[in-house]
Amino acid sequence: MNNTEDRKILEGIATGDEVIITAFYKKNLPYIRRYILQNSGREDDVEDVFQDALVLIYQKLKEDSLELHASLRTYFYGVCKNIWRNRLRKNKKMIITEDVLTNEEAVDPVVIENIEQKEREHVYRKHFLNLGDACRQVLTLLFQGNSMKEISNITGYSEGYTRKKKFECKKSLLEMIEKDPMYTELKITPEKE
Amino acid sequence: MKRTPELFEKIEGYLTKTLPKEELIAFEKEIAGNQELKQEIEKHRSLHQIVSDQDTLEFKEKLKQIGDQVKKEETSTSFFSSFWKIAASIVVLFGVGTLLWYSLNNQDHTSDLYAQYYEPFPVEDISRGDGNVALQNIMKSYTQGNYNDVISALEKYPDSLKNTQLQLYLGNSYLNTKQEQKAIIQFKNIQKTSQYYENGRWYLALTYLKQGNSKKSKSILKEIVQYNGIYKENAVKLLEALK
Repeated sequence: MNNTEDRKILEGIATGDEVIITAFYKKNLPYIRRYILQNSGREDDVEDVFQDALVLIYQKLKEDSLELHASLRTYFYGVCKNIWRNRLRKNKKMIITEDVLTNEEAVDPVVIENIEQKEREHVYRKHFLNLGDACRQVLTLLFQGNSMKEISNITGYSEGYTRKKKFECKKSLLEMIEKDPMYTELKITPEKE
Repeated sequence: MKRTPELFEKIEGYLTKTLPKEELIAFEKEIAGNQELKQEIEKHRSLHQIVSDQDTLEFKEKLKQIGDQVKKEETSTSFFSSFWKIAASIVVLFGVGTLLWYSLNNQDHTSDLYAQYYEPFPVEDISRGDGNVALQNIMKSYTQGNYNDVISALEKYPDSLKNTQLQLYLGNSYLNTKQEQKAIIQFKNIQKTSQYYENGRWYLALTYLKQGNSKKSKSILKEIVQYNGIYKENAVKLLEALK
């Protein structure tokens, strides 16, 4: 870790400090936006990549596996570019204008381990968060290991309704994920291997 | 594969290792021979993993909110900047409007003058005695004001335009069919050595006047005054009116 400023930001990310994260967001979004828009991306892609990169850093901090050899900014840009390049490659739209890469950023190419796995997670997470509150509650309780009976006790639904709700939520979530263009790309890979 | 509540419960039992032994053995057998089922199970497994990681989910949700907030602020900033752009445009529009009003008014003035001074170049009997029927017909059309007929007839015979008088007729025909640019070319083509040079200049000045270009018109009119010919008197009057 290079300096106290970076340490402060990393602490903020780890603890979910909104003020620090917002400041980081505002400061770095324009650069990533420029990079992605210049490289066949759209505004939606900018947000996805930016947030997914931050999630990656968050997870690394949680696992205590983050190793910074340069500034946080350099590292973060590297992660964003890696994610975006990977997505472009998948979409076979590989038109990257490398001139956007300044020397500073090129110093420490960030390798994302299990990038396919990470990408899959991003898709699942995104769609789970898009579910309605009731669905999210039932599925969260389910995945925490609660029985149907326990879930119906907590939610106040009848056991039968809880069962029905759980099935429908899960089914529609899987369908949303499968419809995601990013997901289709992911699916192909394991079959080829 | 059809997704049913029963299938989901079996998969959930399998993933949480809560299936009774017999059921587990049967299910494992089924999985082994069914690629589609295998994939479905993997999807459920991923789902379980993601949703179990509540910390990351909460972090991602926070990012989503922050992202929305940042976007909102960006839009409101760009709203204000577009507000100023609109305000500036209104000012510009007013300016353009005033200018337009002024120049349109000005054009009204010049086209009034044009109407006041313009008379078609008079028909002279150029075909006297030579019995050229085609030419006679053209002159007939011109006199009757069938300018389009004159144009199409004369354009067919570019050679005929070596005759300066015919150039003047063609120019006048263009002028009366709103083809001022073409008229200008005809009038400009009339050489200084021609006895019709002054006529050409006069009609050129009138064409510019018709276009609302009083500046160009005035400079030609001054030339005509200098020339001191039959159009001098009209040129002086017109210059006075254009002041």
